[in-house]
Amino acid sequence: MVFAWKSAGLSYNRYLAIASRVVRRSLKEDKRIAAERRGETDLRFAKWSNGKQGESKNLVDANSSGMASNAGSASS
Amino acid sequence: MNSLRIARAALRARPAAFRAPLQRRTYADAAPDKIKLTLALPHQVRTPSPIYDGFTMQLPRLAAIFKSQGVVQVNIPAESGDMGVLANHVPAIEQLKPGMIEVVEDGGSSKRFFLSGGFATVQPGSVMSVNAVEGYPLEDFSADAVRAQITEAQKVANGGGSEQDIAEAKIELEVLESLQAALK
Repeated sequence: MVFAWKSAGLSYNRYLAIASRVVRRSLKEDKRIAAERRGETDLRFAKWSNGKQGESKNLVDANSSGMASNAGSASS
Repeated sequence: MNSLRIARAALRARPAAFRAPLQRRTYADAAPDKIKLTLALPHQVRTPSPIYDGFTMQLPRLAAIFKSQGVVQVNIPAESGDMGVLANHVPAIEQLKPGMIEVVEDGGSSKRFFLSGGFATVQPGSVMSVNAVEGYPLEDFSADAVRAQITEAQKVANGGGSEQDIAEAKIELEVLESLQAALK
């Protein structure tokens, strides 16, 4: 079985995150506001090499650019 | 020699005498048509570290929609197709599509939830557990919000965005259309 999200280069985690985000956005106003806070991720990382800290990057941005570059190679 | 023979006879006699008391009445016998369902959402399960006050250990309490509750039937939207699970189902692992789960309780009343995707496992002995990232009862959804998002996602899916944006919009459309069908 080939999943559409897989051939588009997305990971299963990313697929679930998108599906969950859209479910949260579909809730009635009061529940939606409480639920949408769960979707926010704020994490930064940096690669260390030769004892020096590299550029500090946002994890979500780095993930999505990584997946975008993956998208072409995975769709076979 | 004589006493040995008696002991042997006693040994042989024992199994027959002990067979009867082993037939205990268990929960499974008392309710053979029930399946014990646990439906949990990871964000909902509160797991504070175990507290030990010197006398008793307080373990983290499980918060879930269903906690090992006896139900009659569970209908799940599996990737391999929609399926209904009754008691004494064979063990199974099913990946769930974003879709509606229906739990039929005693007396035929049923509860419906929309899950964003996850996994369901069926264990031997009529034990089932479902884990989903998001899950809400159908009445918590707004049909207007769903309709507005469908228009938005269709625009992106048919637009000239990046391959990834289009793929994400298509996933959103799939979820929204499933949700809209469930709300009808």
